[in-house]
Amino acid sequence: MSAFNAQRITAMQWLSRQLLNQDVAGRYFDPLIEPLNPRWALGRMIATVERIEDETHDTRTFVLRPPRRWRGFLAGQHVTLALDINGVRHHRTFSLACAPETWQREGLIRITIKRTPEGLVTPWMHKNLYRGGALEISEAFGNFLLPDVEAPLLYIAGGSGITPILSHLESLACREYTAPITLIYCIRSAQDQIGAQQLEQLQHKLPLLNCQIIRADQGEGQPPRLLQASDIDSIKNIQARHCYLCGPTGLMAVATTLLETRDVPEEQVFQTFFAPLTNPLTDTAGGAVTLMRSNRELTVDSGQSLLEAAESAGLSPRFGCRMGICHQCSCRKTTGTVVNRNTGHVSGPGEETIQLCVSVPQGPVSLDL
Amino acid sequence: MKTLNETQLQRLETGLDAIREDVVSDLGERDARYIRRIIRLQRSLEVAGRILIPLSLTPVGFVAGTASLSLAKIIENMEIGHNVMHGQYDWMNDPALYSQDYEWDTACDSNSWRRTHNYEHHTYTNIIGKDRDYGYGLLRLSNDTPWRWRNLFQFADYVGLSVLFQWGVGLHELEYEKLLSGEISLRDKGGFLKEFFRKGGRQFFKDYVFFPLLTFPVAGKVLLGNLSANLARNLWASTIIFCGHFTEQAATFHEADCENESKGQWYYRQLTGSSNFTGGRWLHLLSGHLSYQIEHHLFPDIPAHRYPEMAPRVQALCKDLGIPYNTGSFGRQYATVVKRILRFSLPERLTRQAA
Repeated sequence: MSAFNAQRITAMQWLSRQLLNQDVAGRYFDPLIEPLNPRWALGRMIATVERIEDETHDTRTFVLRPPRRWRGFLAGQHVTLALDINGVRHHRTFSLACAPETWQREGLIRITIKRTPEGLVTPWMHKNLYRGGALEISEAFGNFLLPDVEAPLLYIAGGSGITPILSHLESLACREYTAPITLIYCIRSAQDQIGAQQLEQLQHKLPLLNCQIIRADQGEGQPPRLLQASDIDSIKNIQARHCYLCGPTGLMAVATTLLETRDVPEEQVFQTFFAPLTNPLTDTAGGAVTLMRSNRELTVDSGQSLLEAAESAGLSPRFGCRMGICHQCSCRKTTGTVVNRNTGHVSGPGEETIQLCVSVPQGPVSLDL
Repeated sequence: MKTLNETQLQRLETGLDAIREDVVSDLGERDARYIRRIIRLQRSLEVAGRILIPLSLTPVGFVAGTASLSLAKIIENMEIGHNVMHGQYDWMNDPALYSQDYEWDTACDSNSWRRTHNYEHHTYTNIIGKDRDYGYGLLRLSNDTPWRWRNLFQFADYVGLSVLFQWGVGLHELEYEKLLSGEISLRDKGGFLKEFFRKGGRQFFKDYVFFPLLTFPVAGKVLLGNLSANLARNLWASTIIFCGHFTEQAATFHEADCENESKGQWYYRQLTGSSNFTGGRWLHLLSGHLSYQIEHHLFPDIPAHRYPEMAPRVQALCKDLGIPYNTGSFGRQYATVVKRILRFSLPERLTRQAA
């Protein structure tokens, strides 16, 4: 069956190239289809905004209806949204904050988005997305997944990092999970709590869910209350727990150390969080970069990504999220070594596809760009 | 080469850079809406044409279908394909409008086009011997090229080239004149020829095999309609392109003049080597705004529909600096092209008085 499918797709692709000069025939017809109903688009997936809910003073939940052929998701996964802002397409990745079971039932997904005041995309979304509006959505992806077998769980969330965890908990509630679950949710102040109502309902549905909310703000003159050892030490049988961390880098670092010192096996700890990188590596050597297609030579300063370097040289390579997720900027490297500044992963010296936005050259590099 | 002094060149450079910067900083929603509207128009025209040609019951319907398909091809080649491939819309970050991936509705492979047009022609504009677009290695258009007997018949060559324009453009990179002179061999062009047959074959299959067979009982009509649409597009594209650089006043340059050129000198060469023509909104649209060839050569990666608002500023700057700004009505400019092709079909000694 799958072999037959692959054959058919190739034949379709061939015909599409012959007749329409497009790899995907749908892309040719989309300009005519999208004005009728954006969710009918064939060449890309367009979701419509079903409704918008206020969570806190700076956080909103967008309830979206993906198109029919969207393949669905697993609890804890995320999607990349593409938004056209003043003519420029921007990509951002967000966690889904609902259970796959809900999507199967209602055809709706929830994405909870905190407005970053100095950002471009999230304030735009809060201001400009309206009920009935349309936006491009990717298939779901990500490895922040529930264990295959029932195991005791520990969640540590910070701020808007609660969203993929809500997806987990909702999904667990649907399947009558019997192992103990602890959630430690760190927030700045009471008014910053996301999903308060959802959590309250979850506590009814999941009798084994123990929910601790830690507010940093302890009132006038008090030092902020952060995650501390005693929060972890009160948890029974911690070495058996599968631990899921999602929140700002500082919190995740503290949590990781606490779990390490309590001998929680590394393979039982999962983390995810999306935020622009604030302190790029500075100790990586730059290098001379040859762009073969545009016949250009660039010198890349240490710490600068290939994308930034190409842009400051006046080129405009395709890009997306600029944080190493969406692969819009993927490009063939023909020679040389690059370091992924998100993961510290050092590439091989040969030809491979790299992401320009997170790759820093280590010595001379040539790119098919 | 008549040129400007250093101060004038500096003023030209600063002035043109400022015009460019003003538009670049203003690019946004308006430009995105414009190009997407044009794409919608082109798709509608093509679909209408492809349906109307086989289903038409009267000659009027057939002509309307053919006209619709011709317009679709013209708009796709001129206002969408040519301009998108120049990177005019790369800033939008839309994969469908990305210059390096775009493939257009003509026999010419887009990779070959990006090499010969975007790079060679736009970099070495009107430099005799470097810009192969200057006469396409076929026509003698200035006394810089030595006269040969076969130039006597070059008007017929020109008509032939126009009729088969998409194939001529497709084979441009073959450099047949260098093949004939033995400077290069066919083996050097193996990679290019493979690309040419792949893309040219694709276009041939679509218009002359697939659609006629799909509508088998009326295959003849569809074949005729598709041939006519390609012919109309060929003649139109050729005419527009010849008006861009081969008008009477368009200047030519020598390689030696252009060594170590400054940005100002490059601007000056682009300005004096190109020519505009005037007309209505539709004429500009159907020419892909190559009616603003001067602005296009100064700012090849600015969305072309912005040229009309840039042109008065460019023209004023030219007037200030005493640089000729070559423009006129479409008819008048084309007449000078025809005159130029005819004039240089004769040896220099016979035409010297006319110069």
